[in-house]
Amino acid sequence: MVSTHIKNFDTLVVGGGIAGLQTALDLGDQGYRVAVVEKDASIGGKMIRLSKVFPTLDCASCITTPKMSAVAHHENITLFTYCELNSLDHDGSGESQGIKALITQNPRYVDPVKCIGCRQCEYVCPVHIPDMEQGGLSATKAISIPFSNAIPQLPIMDIENCMLCGQCEKACPTNAIDYFQKPEEFTITAKTAVITTGFDLLAVKDNVQYGNGRIPNVIDSLQMERLLAPHGPYNRVLRPSDGMEPDSIAYVQCAGSRDKSMGVSYCSRVCCMYAIKQAMLLSGSLPLADIIIYYMDIRAFGKGYEQFYQNAKAMGIEFVKAKVARIDKGENGSAQVRYELQDGSGIATTDHDLVVLSMGMVPGWNPEPICPVSKDSDQFITSIKPKISPVLTNMDGLFVAGAAAGPKDIVDTITESGSAAMEAAKFMSKSLMEN
Amino acid sequence: MKTINKDKEAKKTAMKELRGLRKNLIAAASSTMKIQKKDMAAIKTFLKGEAATIPEISARIDMPTDKTLWYMATLKKYGQIIEGEKEGAFFKYSLNEPEKTQEKAEA
Amino acid sequence: MSEKNQNVGVYICYCGGNISDHVDVEEVRNRVEKMPGVAVARTEMFMCSDPGQEMIIEDLKSGKIDRVVVASCAPSLHETTFRDAIKRAGSNPFIYEHANIREQVSWVHHGDTATDKASVLIASATAKAKLLKPLEPIRVEAKKHTTIIGGGVAGIKTALDIAQKGIEVTLIEKSPVLGGQLNNLDRLAPFGEKASDILQELLDQILNHKGITIHTDCKIEDVTGYVGNFSLDIVTKPDNNNINKKITIDTGAIVMATGSVSYIPFDGEYGFGRHKEVITLKDLIHILKENKSSGTALEVNGKRIKNMVMIHCVGSRQIPGIHHPKENGQLNEYCSRTCCAAMLNASNQIRANFPETGIYEMYRDIRTYGRGQEELYNQASKNKVVFMRYDADAQPEITLGSSSDYPLLVKIKDSLTFNEQMEVPADLVVLATGIEPDDVSDLASMMKLPIGTDKFLLEVHPKLRPVEFPITGVFLAGTCQAPMDVGEACNAAGAAAVKASALLSKGYIELDPFVAQVDMDKCQGHGACVEACLKEGALELTEVNIEGKIHKKARVTAAMCLGCGACAAVCPEKAIDINGWALKQYEDMVDAIVSDGFAA
Repeated sequence: MVSTHIKNFDTLVVGGGIAGLQTALDLGDQGYRVAVVEKDASIGGKMIRLSKVFPTLDCASCITTPKMSAVAHHENITLFTYCELNSLDHDGSGESQGIKALITQNPRYVDPVKCIGCRQCEYVCPVHIPDMEQGGLSATKAISIPFSNAIPQLPIMDIENCMLCGQCEKACPTNAIDYFQKPEEFTITAKTAVITTGFDLLAVKDNVQYGNGRIPNVIDSLQMERLLAPHGPYNRVLRPSDGMEPDSIAYVQCAGSRDKSMGVSYCSRVCCMYAIKQAMLLSGSLPLADIIIYYMDIRAFGKGYEQFYQNAKAMGIEFVKAKVARIDKGENGSAQVRYELQDGSGIATTDHDLVVLSMGMVPGWNPEPICPVSKDSDQFITSIKPKISPVLTNMDGLFVAGAAAGPKDIVDTITESGSAAMEAAKFMSKSLMEN
Repeated sequence: MKTINKDKEAKKTAMKELRGLRKNLIAAASSTMKIQKKDMAAIKTFLKGEAATIPEISARIDMPTDKTLWYMATLKKYGQIIEGEKEGAFFKYSLNEPEKTQEKAEA
Repeated sequence: MSEKNQNVGVYICYCGGNISDHVDVEEVRNRVEKMPGVAVARTEMFMCSDPGQEMIIEDLKSGKIDRVVVASCAPSLHETTFRDAIKRAGSNPFIYEHANIREQVSWVHHGDTATDKASVLIASATAKAKLLKPLEPIRVEAKKHTTIIGGGVAGIKTALDIAQKGIEVTLIEKSPVLGGQLNNLDRLAPFGEKASDILQELLDQILNHKGITIHTDCKIEDVTGYVGNFSLDIVTKPDNNNINKKITIDTGAIVMATGSVSYIPFDGEYGFGRHKEVITLKDLIHILKENKSSGTALEVNGKRIKNMVMIHCVGSRQIPGIHHPKENGQLNEYCSRTCCAAMLNASNQIRANFPETGIYEMYRDIRTYGRGQEELYNQASKNKVVFMRYDADAQPEITLGSSSDYPLLVKIKDSLTFNEQMEVPADLVVLATGIEPDDVSDLASMMKLPIGTDKFLLEVHPKLRPVEFPITGVFLAGTCQAPMDVGEACNAAGAAAVKASALLSKGYIELDPFVAQVDMDKCQGHGACVEACLKEGALELTEVNIEGKIHKKARVTAAMCLGCGACAAVCPEKAIDINGWALKQYEDMVDAIVSDGFAA
């Protein structure tokens, strides 16, 4: 299909997580016109899916929703959600080395103009599917708004699981259901672009030593975030295998990080802190439970983080310096953790009701073959000036911020996003002066 | 009037075509839906008599505990079941009485 | 505006359990609904989310309500969020009142008490809201100029970024040279860039930038004014005629980039100051930079080093009851973030260039968190650096050695080998001294900037407003905020620069209109208010000609007024009041709080 729609902006932000939102706001507030392109149906990224955040223990939603809302209502910012980025490169056609992106709008099978977000379609839909927004631990419908504070408040129809029964169409008060919607291609041209494509967790299913995701009650840390979130799958912390309230919970640190044979060789930077945070939240909601963190080094390096760690120790959370070698299925739904104590005293085994794997971070997006920006050996986007300006890439006018440039916590991500917005703004005022 | 009818006809034909194209998906989704409906009905029927924990329900209707919990979380989300008292390490669940649902809807 | 019946909409937030776990939100709603003047009372999981805001907008647009009360978290988080929503509904943003039922209720009370207190606070906010008047923000001219305090890497980067946007910049540095801590560094972890190259690149840019004025060797005497119109009095060093020059800088915004210093061990800490073989990491870096060693071993003061012990976390991660506080009682409980990578970097350099110098690193946790840093750690292991781990409550001890080859003996309980007591003979001990903020307490108290318990400058919120102070128009960047490496400090500088640029880009700034207003009819010109006024220039007595007669009347300069209310308290005629915080509003709030019935 030949793309005919061309939309022009000052900056294209790729990724609508917290990094992209902050970048867009910092540019929009200076009067630049910004497009935010997001692959998911809602902006908000990983952060909106978290429970509370360290070291302040603010609820993640309390920080993210207002930023999402500010972006959605900003006069200089336009959102493109549920979109695929097909290519991103310098625009060779003009004198000015601008940026050109080819994008596909995926069909929601819902007319975004007519839809009022009433969720009637979701209520009447008869097909239940695992709700990946809840780590698959509960269900949603084949047509649904992804989560309660999603932006935009538009449902998506999952045609893989749709029976075409027509119930949603009947229930919709505004005739917004459109079974025939097609993907639409369009082009965005801009003077600059910022890559804020974030991270994914290493998949538990790829981890042989920890049971490939087949051992009951061994979950990853983002699933635990959902269990701890107030509007999570069970509205409380229960064991997914049978609904038992766990009495003994273990954290396996560096699950897939700092060990090439298990996943990646680098440190994923946030796992220590989120494990400590989750442990603290757990000891709040399950005061009698034993919580053990198996770790190599505790990396509490940010502002207020070490104090947070010491508080967790004082609260009775147990820290065991050990490398977990493997996990097996135990009795009565427990998981058996086998670990090597780092004091040299050998190997030990303990059964836990619930085991959380602090999985490492990998890039959320692979530029190949979409964009010629260079990657480092760690597969994250290369920062060509890691000291003077960590947001610069090898492409002129294209910048990077947040976890797209390596694992990063929210505080560092937000600061780096401001920095990327500044570099993009500078680039645009420089080319303005040169012209 | 006539044009509307014509549109309706066209839509009908188009839907038919679409159903043809997605035959396999639709068949799979329909069978999933039927199983889900049956499973959830079994849970709800059992709960008519008494509030129960996941292992109790699971043993009684012969469904794995993880699947029972998945349904329970779902039924709870859509307001058909409510969580009750804790018994040992498990919570009891019961049907959300119709009056209560009504009240909520009115509020 | 008369006090006729206002229709107040009250919106109560669950805060996803933060509030609703302790406050019965629906019960509060039921009570609030019955309060006088309340037209609607609604609840929502997250009121700050789009559906929550839409609810308020719809009620305003439909005319159901004309005053808004949101009961949620502290107003510092989301007051502006809701004011903006009201603006979007086409209403005046100042018809809004906030009730804090999270920090002041659900986080500190539980059960019925929490529900009762939430109800009372909302009743009080509602009483106040009924008397709210639409107000217009105060618009002041803003000088397109920023002053950066501190000429280290963060300050230079901030200055360059802002200047590039066409905003004039003045950079103030107290020492004679720019570059701050970069001057003390050599090869930077983890990639090995030379600090002097980095600094030179920045200096080339800043010294040639026409929009940037630099004052080194100077001291700030006073800071006055407000956002858009600050004024700094600085004194420069004595010139050739031994005269100190005084300069006044008028500026629109200020960025604090005052940086940090190295922790200095106390006398005897790990033998520091008692044994000349005990040095700091800063000293070691200086030695490496000088590069006077010629052979296969590192040479220090002409002596070949055979066994070097490096001790981590000196002056960092201190624990009350274990570590000795300083004379002022201060303990550095934080992690200094940069030392692990810096130590390993130095170790690797030494092992690569001086294979006959053996290295023992004694650590608590190795924190090579950043990109490329874990490789430093792996490299050190490959380079046969020996790692030993100590617990916080069992620190290594330095004693005199028995041989002249190894003047020191380091004792450690190594938790990597059954907590065995080990003894390492050493001819050099290097202490990884942490980062401490430079002492800017004078400046901070002059400018009313908050300082955290860790003695670093304190931002408004680490995620919502990480480079801002509560004083509008004042920002912070770099290691005055927390330990950071060079790249992180430059990112912080960019973030501060973008905020300052956005603030000054329009040429004007809008301030909250919560300032004193004089009722000209009532004012008798007593002047009590002028005497009570805390802010010089905010309030004055002027002569007004009314029907041929000269009267004295009080006049407020809105942009200067702090809105503190000292004037309102002393006026015998009750002729002066604070917009948005009038006396009558306080009276009604108190009445609502003490009246029966709202609690339960």
